[in-house]
Amino acid sequence: MSDTTPQFRSPVVATYPTDPAAELTLRDESAMTKVVIRAASGTPARASLAQVFAGSRTSGDVLIAGTRPDEWMLLGPASAVQERLDDMPTDGHVSIVDWTHSRAQFRLSGASATSALEKVCGLDWSDHLMPNGAVTSGSVAMVTCDLIRNDVDATPSYLVMCDRSFGQYLFESLIDAGSEFDLSVA
Amino acid sequence: MSPLDKIVRRNDAPSMSRLPRRAGEVIDRSRPIAFTWNGKPTTGFDGDTIASAIAASGHRILSRSMKYHRPRGLLTADYWDPNAFVQVDDEPNVRSGHRLLTPDITVGPQNVWPSLDVDIKAANQLVGRFLAPGFYYKTFIHPQRLWPAYEKVLAQFAPGGTVDLETPLAYFDKRYVHPDVVVAGGGPAGLAAATAAANAGASVLLVEHEHHLGGHLRYGSTDDQALANGLEVAARAAGVEILVDSTVTGRYEDNWLGIVQRSHPIAEERLIKARAKTLVVAAGLIERPYVFAGNDRPGVMLSGAVRRLVNMYAVKPGERAVVFTANDSGDHAVATLEEAGVEIAEVVDARTGGNIVSTDGTQRATHEVELGDGRRVEADLLVTAVGWTAPTSLLNMSGDHPVYDPASARFFPSGTPDNVLSTGGIVGDGTTDQLIEHGRVTGELAAGRSAAVRHRLQATTARAAAVDGPEPAMPADDRTPLDRHPHPELFRSTTHGIVDYSEDVGSKDLVSAATEGYDSVELLKRYTTATMGPAQGKLETVNTVAVLAEARGETIAEVGTTIWRPPYAPLTLGALAGRIFEPERVSSIHSWHVANGAKPILAGQWIRPEHYGDPEAEVRNVRTNVGLIDVTPLGKLDLQGADVPKLLNLLYTNKWSKLAVGSVRYGMMCAEDGVVLDDGVTGRLEENRWLMTTTSSGAGTIWEWAENWLQTEHPDWEVHVTPVTTAYTSINIAGPNARTLLARLTDVPLDGDDFAYMQVRAGTVAAVDNCVMWRIGFTGELSFEVHVPAGYGLHVWEALMAEGTDLGVAPFGLEAQRIMRLEKGHFIVGQDTDGLTKAPTTGLHALIKMDKDDFVGKPELRWAVEDADANPVLVSVQMTDPTVVPPEASQIVRPGTNEILGRITSSRYSPTLEKSIGLAHVPPHMTAAGTELTIVLTNGDRTTARVMEHHAHYDPEGARLRV
Repeated sequence: MSDTTPQFRSPVVATYPTDPAAELTLRDESAMTKVVIRAASGTPARASLAQVFAGSRTSGDVLIAGTRPDEWMLLGPASAVQERLDDMPTDGHVSIVDWTHSRAQFRLSGASATSALEKVCGLDWSDHLMPNGAVTSGSVAMVTCDLIRNDVDATPSYLVMCDRSFGQYLFESLIDAGSEFDLSVA
Repeated sequence: MSPLDKIVRRNDAPSMSRLPRRAGEVIDRSRPIAFTWNGKPTTGFDGDTIASAIAASGHRILSRSMKYHRPRGLLTADYWDPNAFVQVDDEPNVRSGHRLLTPDITVGPQNVWPSLDVDIKAANQLVGRFLAPGFYYKTFIHPQRLWPAYEKVLAQFAPGGTVDLETPLAYFDKRYVHPDVVVAGGGPAGLAAATAAANAGASVLLVEHEHHLGGHLRYGSTDDQALANGLEVAARAAGVEILVDSTVTGRYEDNWLGIVQRSHPIAEERLIKARAKTLVVAAGLIERPYVFAGNDRPGVMLSGAVRRLVNMYAVKPGERAVVFTANDSGDHAVATLEEAGVEIAEVVDARTGGNIVSTDGTQRATHEVELGDGRRVEADLLVTAVGWTAPTSLLNMSGDHPVYDPASARFFPSGTPDNVLSTGGIVGDGTTDQLIEHGRVTGELAAGRSAAVRHRLQATTARAAAVDGPEPAMPADDRTPLDRHPHPELFRSTTHGIVDYSEDVGSKDLVSAATEGYDSVELLKRYTTATMGPAQGKLETVNTVAVLAEARGETIAEVGTTIWRPPYAPLTLGALAGRIFEPERVSSIHSWHVANGAKPILAGQWIRPEHYGDPEAEVRNVRTNVGLIDVTPLGKLDLQGADVPKLLNLLYTNKWSKLAVGSVRYGMMCAEDGVVLDDGVTGRLEENRWLMTTTSSGAGTIWEWAENWLQTEHPDWEVHVTPVTTAYTSINIAGPNARTLLARLTDVPLDGDDFAYMQVRAGTVAAVDNCVMWRIGFTGELSFEVHVPAGYGLHVWEALMAEGTDLGVAPFGLEAQRIMRLEKGHFIVGQDTDGLTKAPTTGLHALIKMDKDDFVGKPELRWAVEDADANPVLVSVQMTDPTVVPPEASQIVRPGTNEILGRITSSRYSPTLEKSIGLAHVPPHMTAAGTELTIVLTNGDRTTARVMEHHAHYDPEGARLRV
């Protein structure tokens, strides 16, 4: 039997110079626990999640995002997510799938984050159509992504999630898009 | 002294020169720029266009015309100048009237052979009368066999610059924006509209074609230039995003706009795709040339050109001028030229009946102008100001049909949708203040209409910010229209001249074409190519229509105009292509594959190892030891809910209700027409939790397929389908030593009794929890397919490689897998099936359970089963000559004929059997074991093959995988 401790590997395997203090940063958050919940109408889980489709809210350390009409995603530290799941009633038709390993997750932050996204995504990123907390999905550099606006200290910040297999490609695409705005990996 | 003596008549003598500093000049005299023009070192200033720098250096001729190779000088001195196309380094067809000068460039003329000064092809002028419209079509169509020879000769006369195929690829960019208001045009009305819209709360993008804002104010008086500066400052203060040297190239449905941004700091060009809530067209007016004999002679310029040259670039455009004017612009040109020290020999006022007839001189310079009253005036510069063309392109693209107004001698828009407004000269005349006021009101209207659209978008978009109150009404257009000033109709004089400078089409050509019967404006355009050059009709359309109207004896309104389509101005293919997105998918083991010499192969979007150097050796190792293959791309769907068996029974052709927890089953899916859609293995992990695998290429399709049936036909079923393809790294461990190897890394019992063939277990592998193990395989060997949480995939792979050294473990790639699956006789959906292959063709009749209540494709399959002779059958074949491997898709024919009976769908040399093997589609009557097939090879030779009894060439009993 192997006694090696498994090490989680991000889909982003290349290394980049980092500058967390840069005005525009891209952070690989693929290791964050991500759980997808689907709950049918009338299940108590829906009430427990208390988040409508296309929006998000923070509950403790967990971000609850309404990603589809009957689908939610919980994002956060593993223990906090598990605690939230433990509190959630699962009566009725409710399914829970751990997507931690299924999805790459990146955070693009900075005043020019929107400008960078405009280069790789055709969505309307204005405050009117994509306010803080908004959740949507769309094509980013031709990859289907879940997108959450999750501002940090009143600075625009976006979570970009895609199928893990596209992770390296998408990370590089975002770096390329942000290079015009002096993006740095955080 | 005679005025003639003042004019330098020598062909190459400088008659243009740099003026002392001008108040509004845009050049920076402290920053000289050296470049090469026509082989000679030349100097300009930062801010110069290439053309203004050349002109300031005293050169009047920039290039030659495309057909007759007539020397050509500046006409408009801006983006639209048809005479100013030059070669800049390796870039052909550069608009020197627009492109800014940069250091150390080499600029050369175009359409010259061998040189600008001496051009042998100018002899075309001597036979010009024979080069009428349609000359090429008519002359070179017979005899057809000579066309290749004609083509070679004609290619030598192809116009334009030289394309250097070694030019490095340039970087082009794209951007998507959703402004409330896009204003096309940065003149006084456009600037005022943009500012007003922004001040009313709209997000505004202003797009200006030229390098400077202000439109005609920029080359006007000092006061005009100051006003332009003020308008620009106000727009920037209001938060308007301003793009100069950019063009709105097209308007499409729902105000989808294409905008090309040239000379971007990080890209050669950037194509902006804008979804504007309201488009304001403030494109201004484009000055129109006058048609008369010698109107393309160097020294003939439009009034805007001389005002630009003098006021923006401090270039003296000549020494002695005749000005033919019908409007203020011509009048202003007179004043401008006088300020620049140009002698005004004559002002010919069209408003009082004046006219000009021709110019005289050499081909390189104007010496004399013949006036309508018969007088001849010596001059080296003729300035015309005869009217305007309204560039209604964007309005045309919005559905507008411009209407000609003879009183103003130009076309005006007639009506556009609510989300398209227009302002400025394109809709009327007025003082600058009136134009600005119209722009301001238009901007406010645009902002109001955008607010209504935005309210609707927000109210109907789930993620959008909440809106207050009901949707506001779309503001009515109660603007006071601008006046239309009278203007003489001036298109062609009493003589003929050039109408389309870019295409070398004259008014005589148009009349000739109309006489031939090409008297519809759309036909005339295509037959003569008038308006089809780089200026895209901006200079030529109205004159073309006017000449045609004259030829037909009708009015311009009766003739109508051509419809401007996108693009407003030409753009590069690079801009259209833009940033190339080519997503690639890799597994979590990809870096290991790369580091260990895997030869990559693109499978869909996946980059996978085809082999690691020797696929046949990889096969032998799996058959004798143990191999690992990365099968992560296999589609995987997590199915949860009490009704999963119903879904599986619906989608698969076989039965699923009784599959026990811990077991897996193979299944085949068909579409409604009974054609094989996909196949794979699904396992029951828990009572209400299943894991389905699909083919790699079918992962997305089957997910959507399942959701489609659930959402549209059975929304009452309790099933949740969640894609988990890359949640797991999937590793197939195959070979006689597979169990021994896996046992070293897991505490899950693996013995045959505990973990039998076609069973599934969950457990820990290499200290990684939550792994799923299936005892299945595609190779025919004892196999375990391990699905590992992907973040630990590389860890488990490396652990397996490390633990299996003594067992002979080695990786194997797709090619080895393909060989082994063929040895085993497994078909691949999409390769051994096609868009017509119904389930019975696969030979898996046992999997088609016609006694099920229903399943997708059942009605069609009933017919297919009953009429078995109607469909081909997939059979296993071995070639008679073991060394001949027919290419896949080789035809199977009736012996001695070319009648096609079937085809080879898969073929490989089997290193295990040392034979050439394959799968083939054959007619039902040829499926008996031993039937000989005739196969046509690529080179036309024929070979034979024998139909086998089983699909499996290797271990048909399956003993090796059940150990």
